Amino acid sequence: MRNESKTLALKPRRKRTDVAITRRELITNIAKAGVPAAVGLTVGAEMLHAEEVPIPSAPLGLLYDASLCIGCKACEAACNEANNTPPDTSRDGLHQAPTDLNVFTRNIIKLYKPEDGSQSSFVKRQCMQCFDPGCVAGCPFEALYKDQDSGVVHWDGDKCIGCRYCTIACPYSVPRFQWLGLDPVITKCELCSHRLAKGLKPGCTSVCPVGAVIFGPRTALLLEAKRRIKNNPGRYYQDRVYGETDNGGTQALYLSRVPFDKLGLPDIGPESGPSSTLRWQKRIYSYFALPAVLYAALVTVIRRNQHGHEQEAHQQEKETGLRAQI
Amino acid sequence: MSTATLTNPPGIFPPAPNQNRWERAVPVYGVSVFNKFFFLLVGLAILSGFLTIYREAVGLGPASGMNDKFGWGIWKTFNVVVLTAWGSGAFAVGIAAWVFGRKRLHTLMRMALLTSMLAYACGLCLLGVDVGRPWNFYWVLFPWNWNVHSPMAEVAICMSVYASIPLALENIPPILERLWHFDVRLQPVVEKLEHALHKFFPFIVALAYLLPGMHQSSLGALMLLGGQRVHPLWQTPFLPLLYVGAASFMSFGCVAGVTMLCCLVWKRPIDRDVLEEAARITAWIIFAWLVIRNLDLLFRGALFTAFHPTEYALIFWIETFLIGYGGWLLLQSLKDRKLRTMFLGYTLSSVGGMLYRFSPTTLAYMPGPKATYFPSVIELLIAIGFASTGIAIFLVMVKLFAILPAPVQEWHNMALYFRARGPYSNWTKYFNFGFFGDTEPTESD
Amino acid sequence: MGNACAEEGAKMSKQPTIAEHLEASGVSRRSFIQLCSMLMVTAPAGLALTNKKSVFEIAAAIGKTQRPSVIWLHFQDCTGCTETLLRTSTPDVAHLILDVISLDYHETLMAASGAQAEAALRSAMAANAGKYVLVVEGAIPMKDDGVYMQLNSKPAVQVLREVASKAAAVIAIGSCASWGGVPSADPNPTGAVGVDSLITGKPIVNLPGCPPNPYNLLGVVLEYVTMGKLPQLDEVGRPKFAYERVIHENCPRRAHFDAGRFAGAFGDEGHRKGWCLYKMGCKGPVTHAACSTRHFNEIADCWPIGAGIPCLGCTEKNVVWKMGTFETVPIHLATPPDTYPPIYSSVGGATVGAAALVGAVAGALGGATYVYSQRFQSSQEAGAERIENARAQAEKKED
Repeated sequence: MRNESKTLALKPRRKRTDVAITRRELITNIAKAGVPAAVGLTVGAEMLHAEEVPIPSAPLGLLYDASLCIGCKACEAACNEANNTPPDTSRDGLHQAPTDLNVFTRNIIKLYKPEDGSQSSFVKRQCMQCFDPGCVAGCPFEALYKDQDSGVVHWDGDKCIGCRYCTIACPYSVPRFQWLGLDPVITKCELCSHRLAKGLKPGCTSVCPVGAVIFGPRTALLLEAKRRIKNNPGRYYQDRVYGETDNGGTQALYLSRVPFDKLGLPDIGPESGPSSTLRWQKRIYSYFALPAVLYAALVTVIRRNQHGHEQEAHQQEKETGLRAQI
Repeated sequence: MSTATLTNPPGIFPPAPNQNRWERAVPVYGVSVFNKFFFLLVGLAILSGFLTIYREAVGLGPASGMNDKFGWGIWKTFNVVVLTAWGSGAFAVGIAAWVFGRKRLHTLMRMALLTSMLAYACGLCLLGVDVGRPWNFYWVLFPWNWNVHSPMAEVAICMSVYASIPLALENIPPILERLWHFDVRLQPVVEKLEHALHKFFPFIVALAYLLPGMHQSSLGALMLLGGQRVHPLWQTPFLPLLYVGAASFMSFGCVAGVTMLCCLVWKRPIDRDVLEEAARITAWIIFAWLVIRNLDLLFRGALFTAFHPTEYALIFWIETFLIGYGGWLLLQSLKDRKLRTMFLGYTLSSVGGMLYRFSPTTLAYMPGPKATYFPSVIELLIAIGFASTGIAIFLVMVKLFAILPAPVQEWHNMALYFRARGPYSNWTKYFNFGFFGDTEPTESD
Repeated sequence: MGNACAEEGAKMSKQPTIAEHLEASGVSRRSFIQLCSMLMVTAPAGLALTNKKSVFEIAAAIGKTQRPSVIWLHFQDCTGCTETLLRTSTPDVAHLILDVISLDYHETLMAASGAQAEAALRSAMAANAGKYVLVVEGAIPMKDDGVYMQLNSKPAVQVLREVASKAAAVIAIGSCASWGGVPSADPNPTGAVGVDSLITGKPIVNLPGCPPNPYNLLGVVLEYVTMGKLPQLDEVGRPKFAYERVIHENCPRRAHFDAGRFAGAFGDEGHRKGWCLYKMGCKGPVTHAACSTRHFNEIADCWPIGAGIPCLGCTEKNVVWKMGTFETVPIHLATPPDTYPPIYSSVGGATVGAAALVGAVAGALGGATYVYSQRFQSSQEAGAERIENARAQAEKKED
């Protein structure tokens, strides 16, 4: 009958005596040896290459002292001017009054005003320039990357696919996506790098009338913050600087009279998001060893099963007289 | 064989042969593609096409309910995270069949492969609509630019590679088969292609199990970076593992459940043994999964939050109930031998699994005290439209190609059906009576 | 002074240009240029003269212009608008009436009275018919045939009509002349109205205020003198350079308003700290005037709000005399928001349509599940029935 399948014409299996080792055995042996190796490699990855977060060579940052801020919002206006962004006048069509960070607003002044009339405070929110940023860890094609020297986190439009994972991965909810238009961008503070290149300071720190936000090398800012804490005992919340170790360390540092979480700065702890959550992901896939070994194992098993399956298919073909379906 | 010989109730010796034993995939014949339901699906698909053009024209903001705090809408969190998992039958059923040697499940493979192909294709197309700067996706071709630690990179790259290479190759055999029947002149080419496929079969199929294992788990790893913003009832380092587990039992529900439904609707015999095997496997996956999940909750000290009167606790209990009760119904169906119980078991556990996979991305995601998200009408219509496209294509494919399993007798019934209708009057072209020669015995034989 | 002007105006048939006039008066060129620089200084807030780039251009422009004749009529007024004119220095009123304009009739400033004054009016009207500018101060009573204000036994309305008929332009200075002012307050026993209710067919510039800032008038006059035209007016005839914005927009106490710091009563802590007077009934948000930027008497903070008194809205017909002094006004959308954004803003939300759609889809799928599960049941039962029947038949056959 014509339905005798020509497609399932199997090559006769090589007998053991033909060759020293069949392909199948070779793969099987690799799998047998490889599995322990891969497991060892994965678990030992921590020791083999330290999962350290690379610290930039000369990190720059901001120190914002909420107790000095008067809420004049000059920094908001200066930021728009420095970055050549139109102001966000969506609220009344006339005045720049954004309610949150967005495509037009790279930094914003918000007010914490408790209902019971206790101490209120302004807070300036912008990119924290973390040492181990969640946005950089999550970005699939490294459109968000951290400068090795200044530590500033930049966005590269040529690589971004607009997946918005950075908006989810950032614990401070900083990167903002442009929801209108055909060429949407991700906007966030980049510490006015274009101004730094010209020897100028970032827009916000250049105009702050009371010096609530200042710019400088992170080490110097940290020293200054600690000096302020020492000279003003009891003034600052918990006598500590937010960002010194929070989220693995950030380059934007905060001092405040009121609790940090009231200002929208979450209590994350000293481990950064990526290091605490992607640890196993990194280990399992390191050098792609485990996947490769798994693949070899799968091939071996499937070949064995395929052999049996084909025999059954042949049998059925003979019984039914119909062409076997693979 | 006398038609009076029927499946005896269990316990009666000797066990009667399974009259409905699925041995072969047979196209759905005698049923027109064009009916009201199909037109509804096509209508929804066309509507979503127009709305997609609108989304491309104005941007994501007006076309969806996504906002600065909820950057991901149902296109990603449902059509990709949930529906591709539900449609990952090629992975779960395939592994059960090819790696664990459950031979009876081979008859379900073509259904599994087709549903997977459509779920992934529709999900990935919608993903292309969802991203804001798709023209930069070409970076996927340059591995040295990948951020290998990013779960998002893993998902995007792995799913694209999987859908376009192994899954597509696995879906070719039914098409080749039909081409073989279609024209004698094509047969040498078809046979050569089939031979090539056969030769590389283990390598393709192993890849087809490795890659989904990687990306279905990475879909879970995505929300790991959500950190404290995902409710503790869901946020766990085991999220990738639990996601793969959920994908497994959900996809069994899809494949077995959809096969049952198709057999019911198009009046095809149902092979109890295959379904019972599938149900057994699914139930055990479900219970293992529930144990792992709840132990994890217990050891992380998060289980007590399930007893707080919050909406998150409610979602957790609904999930757990649906999955657990679904699994119990599946086991129950093995005892009471009722298809209804089995169908409900698959449905409930699938819906529970969908809810589980959906929750950490949206329902249990808390980016801020006053931030909420609900999809807009356009967003919903596009999501529904893409899913409808998948279903519509499925309906066409099962009628064009041999996908749905059936006893061998069904193949002969099909031949007789087409013989009766004469040459040129059928459009499956499995049999060209009187033109290229008879290939099937006639009734008089 | 006024007498000399009147006589001069009466004697000369051909008016000399300003340059000629100054030369004749013995004013040196240097003083003239100084005058012109004064006129340039008056150019803040976008007055017309700013399009002249140098003093000498102004000198050239003015030099060629003839001093326009101005007739100033007083009706139901308090003379406050004239008084306010005395508190200027660039140019001061002396320079104004001697060198820039020819003030041919002004009851307060002219030396003449009685028949002489009337004669001056007549001759000024005759000599400059069609060219003089009429300035009106005070409201015009209309009740009882206008008997409540008469000039030389003629009702004010009649005088106004007569003098305005030959005027080139009319300037209504003060709220009284602009829309009725104080005399028109409830119950308005004299039926007082403003100039533009009575005069049509002539360009009318309203300068409401009680009194208005004198520079409002000076700006209009100087633009007219140097450019030959009146400034851009809004829909109620007020020059835009002075009345386009409300007090609230430029108020020095605005920061306190934006931050929510309000004075509650005279002398309380907020009042003493100079906080916003909105809650005390300040009408700044609804009052069009330039007082918040151009204070009075050329002294900083010499204006009501600066002195701690909530603005009464004296330029606005619907505000002053209509609203209570301490009654607060609504803030319209045009003014910026008065709060900072909170730490967490609300974002996102469901629409009815979307919720309905989700409900519909969920319902459809749930319904379908139920229907098909029932069909499984019934098909199985049918199958079981068939089995039973066949078994029974088989058993029968075997029997």
